Amino acid sequence: MTALVGIVLVSHSAALAEGAAELAGQVGAGAVIAAAGGTGDGRLGTSAEKVSAAVERASAGAGVLIIPDLGSAVLTVKVLLADLEDDDDAPGPVEVADAPFVEGAVAAAVTAAAGAPLPAVRAAAEEARDARKL
Amino acid sequence: MPASSDVTLKADLHARPAGQLAVAAAGFQAAVRLSAGGRDADAKSVLGVMQLGASAGATVTVRADGPDEAAAVDALTVILAAVTPAG
Repeated sequence: MTALVGIVLVSHSAALAEGAAELAGQVGAGAVIAAAGGTGDGRLGTSAEKVSAAVERASAGAGVLIIPDLGSAVLTVKVLLADLEDDDDAPGPVEVADAPFVEGAVAAAVTAAAGAPLPAVRAAAEEARDARKL
Repeated sequence: MPASSDVTLKADLHARPAGQLAVAAAGFQAAVRLSAGGRDADAKSVLGVMQLGASAGATVTVRADGPDEAAAVDALTVILAAVTPAG
């Protein structure tokens, strides 16, 4: 079996990141999902160190898709990506999805669990923007 | 000639089986669609499958069109027939 694309969920809230990872992992059974929520000292916010560690945990060689929740989470991820570009030990391709957090996480997890490549996993997350609930 | 099959749900089609269906469907080359209650969805899209809103007692039709269509219909029929109430 080939390596699966890893998914990193970045939220201002550790509980939100972990809850979304739990849900996405149940719906997309088998997907590799790492949560990076809150600051290093347990407050609301984002931490480049937590995101970086989560990318390493989620990486299995097929690339990693990062799904941020709001505002500064996106900034934190962008800074991290710029650092990774300069890093010769970077864990394969890492991309960011412009997607709704929960729906994007679930759609990405299912697509990754099916063994799809990184562009397809990202497209599934981003297409979630158009999914209706009713 | 596309393959198809009907399954009557024993429980609501909630998120977890929707994920199982989408992961299974993605493993086939064939285009796979599910329809229920006048709605139709790409079986490879978990959000689309959830949006069907198929509940217990509803009949879901699986249609597949492609080189492995028969196997795709068989696989998804098995998952649909095994849907049980969420724990």
